[in-house]
Amino acid sequence: MMGANDVVQIEFYGVLTQQAGQSTMDLPLVANATLADVLEQLAAAVPAISAYLPTTACAIDDEIVQRSATVKPGAKLALLPPVSGG
Amino acid sequence: MNSTTRHLQQEPLDLGALLQETQDPASGALVVFSGTVRNQFEGKAVARLEYSSHPALVEKMLGRLEQEVIERFGVQQCRIVHREGMLEIGEDSVFVVVRAAHRGDAFAAARYAIDELKQRAPVWKREHYDDGSIEYQEGMPLSAGPAGGSH
Repeated sequence: MMGANDVVQIEFYGVLTQQAGQSTMDLPLVANATLADVLEQLAAAVPAISAYLPTTACAIDDEIVQRSATVKPGAKLALLPPVSGG
Repeated sequence: MNSTTRHLQQEPLDLGALLQETQDPASGALVVFSGTVRNQFEGKAVARLEYSSHPALVEKMLGRLEQEVIERFGVQQCRIVHREGMLEIGEDSVFVVVRAAHRGDAFAAARYAIDELKQRAPVWKREHYDDGSIEYQEGMPLSAGPAGGSH
């Protein structure tokens, strides 16, 4: 049975919200998955965003993280596509 | 930092408040950069602009950028604020306020601050065109800056 701790909460921002058709979703988390693993899984689950992922930065708990980072159960993962502030 | 204005605001930006907060008797130069909503983008007539963001990260990154600008350029004061939500033509989307002893450092610091903001602030602009279409601007990949690694 899958609990809140067995998933990663994905938050979409900018154009990704539009592409994904939602602003958040839960993704099942495999034990010891890296961010790269999670993104690969996400691309398969939501193909509409896959083209954007190579230029998308990721933040866990409000800090930018590398693709090699381990994603912990229950983590909130923010997907930040190319930015256009100013 | 004893500032009172937040880095990200839903309400119209208040330049007067920023000038008040940054008053500094050691500064002989004040440079203000304002980004304002213009009525066209790549030849297409724009009706309004919608800004969205990752608020917690914006607060953190702009706070870090202010400190970095102060240390890097030796200026007295640096404040950076960004607007969020739906903006009409002519409204201010961003203010950079720098106070320094001399104008050279003040201009250089303000230029650096706005250039870096455009790469580091998790903010997204969506053009609402006169013809009714709505599009996100392409943007540039987010950079975490020297303080926080890179993506």
